[in-house]
Amino acid sequence: MALSSSPTAAAEITLTTGVERTGSSSLWRDAIRRLLRNRLAMLGLMVVILLCLTAIFADVLAPYAYTKVNFGRLNDAPSRDYPLGTDQIGRDMLSRMIYGARVSMLVGLGAQIIVVLIGVPIGALSGYIGGRVDLVLTRLVDVMYAFPRLLFVILVMSMLGAGLMNIFIAIGLTGWVGIARQTRAQVLALREKEFVDAARALGGGFFRLLGRHVMPNALSPIVVAVTFGIPEAIFTEAALSFIGVGINPPTPSWGQMVGEGQQYLRSYWHLCVFPSIAIAVTMLAFTFLGDGVRDALDPKLN
Amino acid sequence: MNRPPISDSQLELMATRLEAVGLGRRDFLRIAGGLAAMGAAGFSAQPVSAAPKLEPGEKLAKDQTIRIGGGGWWQSDPSSHDYNKDLYCSGVPALWAGLMKFTADFQAVPYVASKVTPNKDGSVWTFEIRKDSRWSDGTACTAQSFEWSFKRQLDPATAAPYASFLYDIKNGEAFNKKQVASAAEVGVKAKGDWLLEVTLEGPRGYFAVLAAYLAALPAHQPSVEKFKDKWTEAGNLVCNGPFTLEAWEHGKQMVLKKNPHFFNAKEVTLDRVIIPIVPVASGALPYENNELQVSPLQSGDLKRLQNDPRTGKEVFRYPFPGTWYMLPQVTKAPFDNVKVRRALSQAVDRENVVKVAQGFAIPAHSMIPPGFPGAIDDPKIKAIQKYDPKAAMAHLKGTPFEGGKNWPKITLSMRDEALGAKPLAEAVQAVLLESLNLKTELEVLEQRVFRERLWKQELQLVWIRWFMDYPDPHNEYFDTFYGKKTTGKRQAWTNDAFDKELEAGRDTRDTKKRLANYAKAEEIMQNDAGYIPVAWVVRYAAAKPTVRGFEKNKAGEQLVDGNIYVDMLTRLYVVEKG
Repeated sequence: MALSSSPTAAAEITLTTGVERTGSSSLWRDAIRRLLRNRLAMLGLMVVILLCLTAIFADVLAPYAYTKVNFGRLNDAPSRDYPLGTDQIGRDMLSRMIYGARVSMLVGLGAQIIVVLIGVPIGALSGYIGGRVDLVLTRLVDVMYAFPRLLFVILVMSMLGAGLMNIFIAIGLTGWVGIARQTRAQVLALREKEFVDAARALGGGFFRLLGRHVMPNALSPIVVAVTFGIPEAIFTEAALSFIGVGINPPTPSWGQMVGEGQQYLRSYWHLCVFPSIAIAVTMLAFTFLGDGVRDALDPKLN
Repeated sequence: MNRPPISDSQLELMATRLEAVGLGRRDFLRIAGGLAAMGAAGFSAQPVSAAPKLEPGEKLAKDQTIRIGGGGWWQSDPSSHDYNKDLYCSGVPALWAGLMKFTADFQAVPYVASKVTPNKDGSVWTFEIRKDSRWSDGTACTAQSFEWSFKRQLDPATAAPYASFLYDIKNGEAFNKKQVASAAEVGVKAKGDWLLEVTLEGPRGYFAVLAAYLAALPAHQPSVEKFKDKWTEAGNLVCNGPFTLEAWEHGKQMVLKKNPHFFNAKEVTLDRVIIPIVPVASGALPYENNELQVSPLQSGDLKRLQNDPRTGKEVFRYPFPGTWYMLPQVTKAPFDNVKVRRALSQAVDRENVVKVAQGFAIPAHSMIPPGFPGAIDDPKIKAIQKYDPKAAMAHLKGTPFEGGKNWPKITLSMRDEALGAKPLAEAVQAVLLESLNLKTELEVLEQRVFRERLWKQELQLVWIRWFMDYPDPHNEYFDTFYGKKTTGKRQAWTNDAFDKELEAGRDTRDTKKRLANYAKAEEIMQNDAGYIPVAWVVRYAAAKPTVRGFEKNKAGEQLVDGNIYVDMLTRLYVVEKG
């Protein structure tokens, strides 16, 4: 069976159902095998899983509620009571960072869902239909691409107001462009393949061709783009909260904690350093994982 | 000379003038307050001598150079030093000397003018210019110089954005709006070299106060004509103030040098002032590294500097009286219910909240901070909004929120600003949650958006401050809370009895009676929970022990330069390390 992302036309012709599933399942199995052998990617994956668990079980893990203040212990350095110290209004830094993981993960995943929901259909339609539709959609993508990303996000945020849901929307609205382009490029190449021709010759309709024959084979670059998109979204949220247009207090967010803590860097280093480390580690983990996923899905690179 | 009478309608006019230059109502009141405080002394009061009075054992250092800045001063490169054209050029005021200047108590006193004489109704003003008034190139800075400068600001060709500041001058507005073609018709006339006569549109008893403001500084005609927009560059600038601009590396630093031709040069001690351009985010770092010798402080640094035995004594408080308070909007649920507002007012643990300000705030129980006229120490009033979580919960009995349940979504709004405002607001959120189980979301709005929504009274719960403009309760109550205010009203709350007390306070001259009026007003407002005072503002700067000479106001507090008082540099001097 074919290992590459384009199964042979012969396999396609035998049966229009089920065949590419076997084809791609072995493709995926192979990719997973390659991924498992990649140590850095595994390390990244472990960190990501850990973060996800932290986010899900924040209520159980956090020693204090993230709103719990202790006015007697403001800006305390790390101690036994407060392993990572307290912030400028006496809240436990560790608890706030645990809850901050929840925000980061939600943003990372939530924004990517919107990105995929917008980007993939636009890219697929644009590439598959071609002609005028392609022209219009590609120009739209070009225009969106021309905006500086962060500025556009800030613009959208200031129109919508702060809040978690609005961050999803703002990042989603601006982040779909890259994925749309990649999808279009894949679909453009795939729609000329023999197996698609064959499926068409057998009477496959528009949606069936696109959904069952083209898209499954275009999936791997999308998966890679999403893996890289998640840390980007997390970082964008951190940047937004850093400049104060992200999430409203008292809900904690790493970016917000860094933003507020950096004014006190000289006096109370822990306010800024721990959340910075959290952001850095998360970014690194996702990048390792993303690299691994890309290598695994695209063996041509090796 | 006594100052001519100033009628209410004149004061209104003065307010318009100041508003036109972006000063707004409150800065006007600050200046008008100085005007009132001046009383019979009029505009002839002389500033105290600036020459350093050395304390025993002090010796002037050989090197009279200081470096100032940071903490919000000169955070970015000035657009120019041309105050005559644009009073918000954010340049260095110490390069200039106006006809008048403001003292430490915000009184306008003669400066380049040695004598100021209004006619009987204050419609014509004669400024007698000091005969030793010189430009920094040694030529005389005469009445003609000021005549030209005022006309330059009004000239439509100059396109000065705040020219309306001088619209009191006869035909000034018409000339600026091209209704009068010739500058000769503008009511500024030099009578000989040393007498400037300013004819106004009508009686303006306050004109000398305007003449003391930054917008009335002169410009040097030959330089402006020769170098056009570049005339305030270091090599080109000719000025008339205590300092000249020796160097200006854009975006990096400015170097001021003592101006030997300045008429008061013998009273200026500093030889050189270096002003690096420092972003506010650097905090006190440049000061601690001895790159700066005078710097205002931000909340992140105060405690550390105060607690450090080396720097503890260098930190001083400077007058910036203000009050942080909460405004529950009485037109928005749930704050339309007085019981809810009362509950809120007793739920704020002020002692604890101010701890997060790191020394930049103290707990407040009323509008006026201690030490200022109108400060309230009445235990009866203090008890109204005293922190008492049980009483707070008790207020909620009979409301839908009994027991701290069923709260709707509540947003606490504040403006985006520095100096630890946000931690204070977050601490308020925390104590409200603790005492009333009231969850709030904090929304930080951009300046303009905030003001617009505030004045439309759209915000549900507001975290806001009022900086006192001049020490009179009229400023703290009338200018802030008066129910019949038409512009810039922050709260929907009104109360007729309250307004009556304010009117009585305004119209009475008897100090005791007035203070009683304001105390009564405070009591009414607190009982109604029209506002909830939380903290009083405190501000700090630091100066190295070798830098001396800061001027003190009547309250005995050291001053640093602001937008009205700009006389700091002429007074400072450096002593040798003891």
